[in-house]
Amino acid sequence: MQSWRRRKSLWLALSASWLLLVLLGGFSLLRLALPPRPQPGASQGWPRWLDAELLQSFSQPGELPEDAVSPPQAPHGGSCNWEACFDTSKCRGDGLKVFVYPAVGPISETHRRILASIEGSRFYTFSPAGACLLLLLSLDAQTGECSSMPLQWNRGRNHLVLRLRPAPCPRTFQLGQAMVAEASPTVDSFRPGFDVALPFLPEAHPLRGGAPGQLRQHSPQPGVALLALEEERGGWRTADTGSSACPWDGRCEQDPGPGQTQRQETLPNATFCLISGHRPEAASRFLQALQAGCIPVLLSPRWELPFSEVIDWTKAAIVADERLPLQVLAALQEMSPARVLALRQQTQFLWDAYFSSVEKVIHTTLEVIQDRIFGTSAHPSLLWNSPPGALLALSTFSTSPQDFPFYYLQQGSRPEGRFSALIWVGPPGQPPLKLIQAVAGSQHCAQILVLWSNERPLPSRWPETAVPLTVIDGHRKVSDRFYPYSTIRTDAILSLDARSSLSTSEVDFAFLVWQSFPERMVGFLTSSHFWDEAHGGWGYTAERTNEFSMVLTTAAFYHRYYHTLFTHSLPKALRTVADEAPTCVDVLMNFIVAAVTKLPPIKVPYGKQRQEAAPLAPGVPGPRPKPPAPAPDCINQIAAAFGHMPLLSSRLRLDPVLFKDPVSVQRKKYRSLEKP
Amino acid sequence: MCASVKYNIRGPALIPRMKTKHRIYYITLFSIVLLGLIATGMFQFWPHSIESSNDWNVEKRSIRDVPVVRLPADSPIPERGDLSCRMHTCFDVYRCGFNPKNKIKVYIYALKKYVDDFGVSVSNAISREYNELLMAISDSDYYTDDINRACLFVPSIDVLNQNTLRIKETAQALAQLSRWDRGTNHLLFNMLPGGPPDYNTALDVPRDRALLAGGGFSTWTYRQGYDVSIPVYSPLSAEVDLPEKGPGPRQYFLLSSQVGLHPEYREDLEALQVKHGESVLVLDKCTNLSEGVLSVRKRCHKHQVFDYPQVLQEATFCVVLRGARLGQAVLSDVLQAGCVPVVIADSYILPFSEVLDWKRASVVVPEEKMSDVYSILQSIPQRQIEEMQRQARWFWEAYFQSIKAIALATLQIINDRIYPYAAISYEEWNDPPAVKWGSVSNPLFLPLIPPQSQGFTAIVLTYDRVESLFRVITEVSKVPSLSKLLVVWNNQNKNPPEDSLWPKIRVPLKVVRTAENKLSNRFFPYDEIETEAVLAIDDDIIMLTSDELQFGYEVWREFPDRLVGYPGRLHLWDHEMNKWKYESEWTNEVSMVLTGAAFYHKYFNYLYTYKMPGDIKNWVDAHMNCEDIAMNFLVANVTGKAVIKVTPRKKFKCPECTAIDGLSLDQTHMVERSECINKFASVFGTMPLKVVEHRADPVLYKDDFPEKLKSFPNIGSL
Repeated sequence: MQSWRRRKSLWLALSASWLLLVLLGGFSLLRLALPPRPQPGASQGWPRWLDAELLQSFSQPGELPEDAVSPPQAPHGGSCNWEACFDTSKCRGDGLKVFVYPAVGPISETHRRILASIEGSRFYTFSPAGACLLLLLSLDAQTGECSSMPLQWNRGRNHLVLRLRPAPCPRTFQLGQAMVAEASPTVDSFRPGFDVALPFLPEAHPLRGGAPGQLRQHSPQPGVALLALEEERGGWRTADTGSSACPWDGRCEQDPGPGQTQRQETLPNATFCLISGHRPEAASRFLQALQAGCIPVLLSPRWELPFSEVIDWTKAAIVADERLPLQVLAALQEMSPARVLALRQQTQFLWDAYFSSVEKVIHTTLEVIQDRIFGTSAHPSLLWNSPPGALLALSTFSTSPQDFPFYYLQQGSRPEGRFSALIWVGPPGQPPLKLIQAVAGSQHCAQILVLWSNERPLPSRWPETAVPLTVIDGHRKVSDRFYPYSTIRTDAILSLDARSSLSTSEVDFAFLVWQSFPERMVGFLTSSHFWDEAHGGWGYTAERTNEFSMVLTTAAFYHRYYHTLFTHSLPKALRTVADEAPTCVDVLMNFIVAAVTKLPPIKVPYGKQRQEAAPLAPGVPGPRPKPPAPAPDCINQIAAAFGHMPLLSSRLRLDPVLFKDPVSVQRKKYRSLEKP
Repeated sequence: MCASVKYNIRGPALIPRMKTKHRIYYITLFSIVLLGLIATGMFQFWPHSIESSNDWNVEKRSIRDVPVVRLPADSPIPERGDLSCRMHTCFDVYRCGFNPKNKIKVYIYALKKYVDDFGVSVSNAISREYNELLMAISDSDYYTDDINRACLFVPSIDVLNQNTLRIKETAQALAQLSRWDRGTNHLLFNMLPGGPPDYNTALDVPRDRALLAGGGFSTWTYRQGYDVSIPVYSPLSAEVDLPEKGPGPRQYFLLSSQVGLHPEYREDLEALQVKHGESVLVLDKCTNLSEGVLSVRKRCHKHQVFDYPQVLQEATFCVVLRGARLGQAVLSDVLQAGCVPVVIADSYILPFSEVLDWKRASVVVPEEKMSDVYSILQSIPQRQIEEMQRQARWFWEAYFQSIKAIALATLQIINDRIYPYAAISYEEWNDPPAVKWGSVSNPLFLPLIPPQSQGFTAIVLTYDRVESLFRVITEVSKVPSLSKLLVVWNNQNKNPPEDSLWPKIRVPLKVVRTAENKLSNRFFPYDEIETEAVLAIDDDIIMLTSDELQFGYEVWREFPDRLVGYPGRLHLWDHEMNKWKYESEWTNEVSMVLTGAAFYHKYFNYLYTYKMPGDIKNWVDAHMNCEDIAMNFLVANVTGKAVIKVTPRKKFKCPECTAIDGLSLDQTHMVERSECINKFASVFGTMPLKVVEHRADPVLYKDDFPEKLKSFPNIGSL
């Protein structure tokens, strides 16, 4: 009985197993019998070859022909490139030297002023023999100066033909090996790396300074039109992009913008500006859009974008294919706020840095060519494409962005934690013993330099200080205060006058503040500029007011880069102005720094009672008595040379966190700053 | 032990009691069933091999057995190639129109073998590199197997090396591809162009409008914006593993490792060696190598033998001279070794020059200046050299290392041309990862002082303290630059008061009702915010004077990319606990400001709502605390800048909340806030807050000056 039951369960197990076998096996057999279908969606891809291991390499070692170098290729059919057609051996020494052919016959006012501007620049040389670049201005046809071939032509070698407007002259001579800088050259005729693409400047483009960008805020105003389209006669109209079936073929004019009826050129007010790529005249619209902070959307441009050799246009404009209008429109509508923000700001930076005046355009052209000659010591791309731009960030100072005060954050670097005090001793020439002690007492002071600049003999003895003290002798000019002395070894400079008086604590605090704002000037005493209606000019005052726009360089921290900029980028004429009227040197230095930073300087607290007792510099007052007004005209001379007024006002002062706070003095780090 | 005991009890109990003949029968049956099951199981688990062997029979997957195509001698030949081609003239962009993801689709033609009328093969079999290249494309996101959706076509005809090709027949093979259409949207890869004696710098195969990714273009043959200049791949890099060597001075200043140089160049180099002695090393082929030593892997100077490419790591600068061709594989070896290439090849278009900034990784010297090369290199500052060494190695790792890297970079370049609004930026192409991590790109980088006329929008977050809210509204409305007031009503259970009950103020007042009572509602980018400046203010901040608020706005205008607030707070490193600690008052330093009243740019609202890293936003909402610390972290992280504390105010003392302001509450508060800092620092992966020792006051604050002449006389103190 028991065995039967056992046998029964065994049979059950067996039959279950058979059933399983049949089921599973049957499925497999079925699958084998039916041909497999390729699964939709699963792509096959490139097959994995079984014998892939056996494949030969595309190049066998030793296969390359030896000794088969052909001689350097001659330029093909009159075409040129940099190596073949430019002789850099003439450009040794101090960079690019440019000779400009004087105009023959009567010339236009613009032409005369451009010539003057180049002659005043640091590139200029008056002898064609010493020049490495010979510049031929070819401006306007009606004055007829573009017909003769220049004397030193030499088949155009090392020549640059500068045409601000497209082809005004019929070609009367062969360009040969000359480089051409012209407005909006067509892509087909442009020789990359040899020619220079210029912007298409309108007739009335300012020669110098120029209008600042129109952008008043970083992000687009809510409700502003997404897209502006150019109009035939120079205006812009905004497009209604609400309906998706409305590309830019003129079918959607139901929303005429304010620009429609006006004949004069108005600036667009939209986030994006659509610019046709066919007509070179549209290139002038490109500049308008840049100035307005309206992001240019270029549809398949046939012309080369201005200074495309150095400017990364992908950061400021969108070059799109005109054949995909709906995709472009969709891409603009969906663009992230972060990207729109970045593009908008970049248009403004580029406009201000390179395009807002004829002078900037010409200097940029020369800078581009100088960069080619410099090779490894040229501006890195970052310097061209971040504020303040390559015209203000000199590559002769450094080619590493992290050496410049304005790129610290971007580069993840910071200035050194020490400073050099530079004390100018003018007449009457008392060694500033107390000042030296106070400055040397600062834990951040690395060295003291005394610039002995007066008739009296050098004292033989100087006080013992914890930091090295160097005396520089023999200079008389005021502008020498801002010479980039090689003995200055720190990033920060504390510029002082022998008659200044500062406490160690003031110095310490000001230096800490400077480390937060290394691109600005941080000073103790201030003055401010104002527009003088009565005289129709600028004026400035050192009276204490609720705002200021300059700090006095008789006691101020700034980056040593500004010495290089002051000495090497300013036109000589301006530095002469400073030498003739010493009080102007402050104004000039503040102008440079403001032109670079586009920001006001920073004021830190300064002990009042000493200010009254010992004015910092001649002409710099305590509250009373009223000082004689410093040479009033130098600010106007300087503003004229800059072409605009770069100074900006600030209404704040940076104090220590617990400054004049009712807490116990023991808690305060900078106690002595607020002693009565 | 236990199992064997069981077996002894049960096993023997079942089987031995049966009759012997049955026993054998059952055991046999059982084993058959078991075997069958195992066999079936195996069948089930390897179905793929069986299936795929159906598609690609084992024989068919060999390269030798691809379909053969006979090319008649008179089959059409494409045009030579149009030098004026540009994307907008020769490229059919409509084929790329469908793609919503801004990514081109690439189709690869199936591999075929082409023979002429006599059955003689047109070219060698596909090379290892071209096979790898097609495999890389096929594995990438660009690939499609649907020829109708493709925007770019890659023939499987291998033209990497022109020497292995029969030019006319290869061209005929191209012309008969199913979508050839004058070569429109076809991409050919070629690394070794030209042939003896004059070695053209681009592939000689007639190719009409096809794009060419070529190694060794010159300015004469390169169609800017249409062709892509690619590296000449060095097969050595797959064989030799050169570990990265840090930048810094190396044994040789300048080294030349190329063999088969033109005698004139070699003379110039040897002259350099004579002039500068030890620091210049000019290597050549070895003549006296013993059997079995690979000559490719050795270089000699006189009788000294060096390993190649290892010797490249001993030099700071390595010469890359043009040979018969402009593009040289040695460039890849040199970059791999972190040696800065000195490229002496006039008119050469460097690889990927459309996107790579070669100034950062190489020195290009005109051929006629070869004798000055040493002095040119010496004028480069040491720091710049080190930067270049790092950059060279990075270029190799990212774009030269493998055929895959080369293929993908090429497709990315073409992709960027077609979808320029989605293109990769200069920084993404060129900055090594270390730089990308270390640098800060401020979203508000343009120095700009917004005009005062714009004013600011005050956003008051409120729950149900209506009375206090109304007082705040009345106070804030006295600030001259206020342009709009936005009340964020965070209470879902209660309606805001009726319109008639609200204080009458001179600026528009809007009430926004929220869906949920969340702290992050305070930082939402409401459409109603029309000004760039935003004042976030709590509904109990009534102690700030109009002067204080107006001055705060003025300060914000001068620092529009920062948080500008009143009471400052500090984070400190607690050495005992080994973590961050929150510090509230009486310090000489600040690193945060409270957002109970703070000015900031409205863009940060967008960042807070949509770009806050990790789970911080949800964490803040869940804990109902620390939204201000999160905002401080966010702004400091994205701008790299410190906050600005305005005026001496140290706390928001509100009369209503003094009762609960007990000591114990204060302490738990501090502990919570410290936790927030630690939590956020770990999510950000760094401590972005910056500590400063200054605050902003009006220029004449506490100066000995008539109060009535001061702009902001009424600045509170505590």
